[in-house]
Amino acid sequence: MSLKYGLLGLLAEEPLHGYEVKNRFEAMLGGTWEVNIGQVYTTLQRLERDGLVRPAGERGDRGKLLYEVSDSGRKALNEWLAQPDSGPQELREDIYVKLLLAARVANGNLGALLSRQKRAYLQRLRDLNQLEARARKDGRTDLANLVRGALLHTEADIKWIDELSEMGISGESV
Amino acid sequence: MRAILVKALADLRRRRVQAAVIFLTVFFSMAAGTMAVTLMSQTRDPYQAAFDKQRGAHLQVAYSATTDPQLLSKTPATIDASAFGGPYLVSNIQFKFGERKFYVDAIGRDNPGGPVEALNVTSGRWARAGDEIVLTRSFAELNKVSVGDRVKVVSVAQTPILTVVGEVVDIDEGSADLSSQHAWVLAAAVPALSTPDSSYYLMDYRFAGDPTSAKLQSSINRLRANLPPGSITGSLNYILVRSIFNITNQILTGVLSAFSVFALAATIAIVATLVTGIVISAYREIGIMKAIGFAPSQVIGVFALQIVIPALVACVLGIPVGTLASQPLLANSSHALGLAYEPTFSIGLDLLLLATGLLVVVIAATVPALRAGLLKPIAAIAKASAPRGTGGRRLRSAAARARLPRPVVLGIGDAFARPLRAALTLVSVLLGVATVVVAIGLPRSFQLINNSGTGAGNYQVVVNRSSAYADADVMRILNAQPETARVVAVGGKNVTVAGVADPVNTQLFRGDSSRLGYLVIAGRWYAAPGEVLAPAGLLHDAHLKIGDSFTGTADGQPLQFRVVGETYDINNLGHSMFMDIATMASVKPAAEPYRYAVTLVPGADVSAYVRRVSALEPDLLDVHATDTSIIAPVKIIDTVLLVIAAVLALIGVGGVFNTLLLNTRERIQDTATLKALGMSPRQVMVMVAASAGLLALVGGLIAMPVGLSLHHLLNDVISSSAGNDTPPAAYAVFNPAELVLIPLLGVVVAVAAALVPGRWAARTNVVEVLHSE
Amino acid sequence: MSELVRLSDITKVYQGGVTGALNGVSLTVEDGEFTAVMGPSGSGKSTLLNLIAGLDRPTSGSVAVAGSDLGRMSEAALARFRRDRVGFVFQFFHLLPNLTALENVLIPAQLKSTTSAEARARELLDQLGIAEVADRYPAKLSGGQQQRVAIARALINKPSLLLADEPTGALDTRSGNQVMELLMGLHRSGQTILLVTHDAKLATRYAARVISVLDGKIVDDVRLENAERAAADVIRVRGEETRR
Repeated sequence: MSLKYGLLGLLAEEPLHGYEVKNRFEAMLGGTWEVNIGQVYTTLQRLERDGLVRPAGERGDRGKLLYEVSDSGRKALNEWLAQPDSGPQELREDIYVKLLLAARVANGNLGALLSRQKRAYLQRLRDLNQLEARARKDGRTDLANLVRGALLHTEADIKWIDELSEMGISGESV
Repeated sequence: MRAILVKALADLRRRRVQAAVIFLTVFFSMAAGTMAVTLMSQTRDPYQAAFDKQRGAHLQVAYSATTDPQLLSKTPATIDASAFGGPYLVSNIQFKFGERKFYVDAIGRDNPGGPVEALNVTSGRWARAGDEIVLTRSFAELNKVSVGDRVKVVSVAQTPILTVVGEVVDIDEGSADLSSQHAWVLAAAVPALSTPDSSYYLMDYRFAGDPTSAKLQSSINRLRANLPPGSITGSLNYILVRSIFNITNQILTGVLSAFSVFALAATIAIVATLVTGIVISAYREIGIMKAIGFAPSQVIGVFALQIVIPALVACVLGIPVGTLASQPLLANSSHALGLAYEPTFSIGLDLLLLATGLLVVVIAATVPALRAGLLKPIAAIAKASAPRGTGGRRLRSAAARARLPRPVVLGIGDAFARPLRAALTLVSVLLGVATVVVAIGLPRSFQLINNSGTGAGNYQVVVNRSSAYADADVMRILNAQPETARVVAVGGKNVTVAGVADPVNTQLFRGDSSRLGYLVIAGRWYAAPGEVLAPAGLLHDAHLKIGDSFTGTADGQPLQFRVVGETYDINNLGHSMFMDIATMASVKPAAEPYRYAVTLVPGADVSAYVRRVSALEPDLLDVHATDTSIIAPVKIIDTVLLVIAAVLALIGVGGVFNTLLLNTRERIQDTATLKALGMSPRQVMVMVAASAGLLALVGGLIAMPVGLSLHHLLNDVISSSAGNDTPPAAYAVFNPAELVLIPLLGVVVAVAAALVPGRWAARTNVVEVLHSE
Repeated sequence: MSELVRLSDITKVYQGGVTGALNGVSLTVEDGEFTAVMGPSGSGKSTLLNLIAGLDRPTSGSVAVAGSDLGRMSEAALARFRRDRVGFVFQFFHLLPNLTALENVLIPAQLKSTTSAEARARELLDQLGIAEVADRYPAKLSGGQQQRVAIARALINKPSLLLADEPTGALDTRSGNQVMELLMGLHRSGQTILLVTHDAKLATRYAARVISVLDGKIVDDVRLENAERAAADVIRVRGEETRR
């Protein structure tokens, strides 16, 4: 959803060509989300189909078509912005499945894995810290705040790993 | 080291109240102690120095007027005297000055100097004419006679007028308010002032070295052996005079020393409590200090220094103050000795006191501070505050069971939360209250004893008879007055008793003497001639006890006596006897009463009576109302006691105040919590006051028996130094209500002292205190 | 680089404790390192710091700092060691309340009888941005200011080792960041720093090496890289849809 509404929001600022809206979107995300042009066009077509955007000029050369947002598009954008994320927690990383498998496969012994995972998280934290610093230096406070969110998530993951280790899931005697 | 000094001074600046407590406590202790030590070190010397300077007589002997002067001039050789003075012809005279009449022994002496008894003329000059007289300065000051005044001699028919031309200090005499005095006229003038039985010869003897009482006694025995019987009528040795002179100072020194020790003990208790409290409150800081590199000894140094600095200032100020305070007392004795007053003190002694005082304070401060040095840094930082005192739980539960209000219960528990601190506080309270008890009781005991000697309440008028007026005439006049209820006539004759070197005074009564107010300590009053009462001094020295019979001689004639009771009499340091005048019936010349104690009917006007009777025979009778005022030495002791009691009471209050401060500061979190839970400021104050009140109550209750025992003890010490036992009535000078009131008063004072820390605790800002945890 | 701290098989048991606070810990710290020690409360990380500072003694094992074996030293010698070799920054600042800021900074130098420390003290306060509070008492300073005074105090005697125990724990975010930046600056000038913290974000941001302590043991000891990665290699933001 957020790609669709991301593009919509950018078009709400000013009418843009397909390439322009792709670049702007990637710039806004500061490199954390790279999209291909095909995805962009598909999304724009869907938006147009739903009546949220309309071409602003001549249907002619592909890629030179200017899109602009419609009134219902603005309305839909505002509704989306106002809506909280109420979907399920997305846990995509492998560690969650590995945790469940451990009981069956490794006799519940995840010790080495957990400590290696933690190391990786620590390195990630460092990288995130550096990223945040760069973002602030570049004046991208909005991006820095996003990185901050990632930092706290990773910190939470580390805390979870620590808890698991303490509880003895790691297999060490308590 | 700089760091220690910086930290100690910074802490001192913040802890001003504690610094003040230390300063005041040490100041008072040092002042009192210095006063005592200075007195002690200087007292004995002045008398001996003055005595040697004036070549005082070790022994003075009075000889009957019928003795051959030639024989007398051989007496020095008989007893190996190294120097002698006399024989001087002496006459006992009575003279009138203003409204009063006085008896003195007029000695015929042409110049004040000589190998023995060099008299120090302090005012005016020696007599140059037959109508001039020289008095002792002590007598002149007591009776307000000055050089140039004229006195009328009434003991001889011609009643000559003499002019006072000079005042001297006679080292061999005691002060005028304690003993009769000599006066001096030219040798040629004595016969004109004599009546047949008023004169005698006087000789002064001086020996090499310092003769003991025993040696002087044996000298008298040798004299008696070598002269016709009845030649010796009396003697006086200098040891007695010296003892009487020194008693006041000895008592004062004893009292001051005892109470200085108290003040010192109280100071140590307060200093120790304070330092412990400071260390406890500084637990966290101690950890920090150690973490940043203070060595254990440096930590101890910081705390010790905070105490030592104000203590040092207090010593430096207190020692001169104490030295100055001792000077009036020393001046008093110098004056009495006829010495020019020179400031007497020893710098060396003062420096020694300074060093000792500081040493004591340093030890009192360092020992509790050792704990600070030994604290493990990590333990100290981890504990944001020190372990709370856990004592007092049982007290608290007992108080709760007694259904006392909650703030009172909490306060009572707090008082003993730290047992050691409570104990130390109790010590300072105890010392203060005990001293107050003594300071109230002792003057009362003195007053009671004084009254017994001055007849207060028992007879109101005293009449002294000139030897030119007949005893029968006096009785006639007195009995003729309508207000006269009772007259007791009193005479005296010296008696020699085996085992006692000096002659023993006697009081010979005619009439109902048992109601004159003399105190019977044991046994009973006499009921027949021959029965006597004596003070402990005589009984002890003559190895007598109640029921014993013994012999003595008066004017050389033997008499039989039996001891029936023990009485109180400081005259002659306890060497005296009370008896019926009829006991002396066989003695020649007859003992005639010279003094009359008159009891008036209730409601009679004393001054009108006195005026009327003295108008009848103005020259021959001395009539005056009884003077019940206390003698100067006792007044001095009373004043000193009062000052000391005030000091120690202050120190006691200071101790309670100090402890309360420490306790409220330590418990500030608990107090804040209580306030958060709804305790009102007034209840907080009640809590603090209850703490103070309990400490004062316990300390006061313990102090009462201590104080009373001390009162008892001091009475005994003072009485026995004057050769007497303490009369039982002197112990019981408190009424039961007072015994309860004194500790209660202590509680009131302590509760008042609790107001300041109480108000501070009541005003704690709950948010600030609980938040900073 | 030379070895500054060496802990050999350290055990620390407290009275009444069933398990030890530290249980067979061995560790070395090199000169010039910025090391973070992390762990949950009760893990023993603060004990580790205290042993290195000589504030506490191990039950067994040896502690050597800057060449000195702390086990042989008397209390007085340890005090001198703390004065000269170690700088301490605590979570709750622990300034002496009766001394001004400047006096607090000067104390360690005065303990050493250094006479001309005042100039250096003022310079430190200036570098830390708090020159104007030199004559104020700690009670009148903000948390951030107090912590900076504490840092100046820790540095006055040019210690070989700076120990920081949760230095930002009592500070707001902004002051905390300032303090950490100051420590970072010191590290860049060559100061060896040992930081104890429970905050992983903090530890990884400043320290090159992170030691993890759990139940009195070192469970991990990792040197982190300064890779300066591109954003895309660090974060992937994605919407709900994954279909093309």
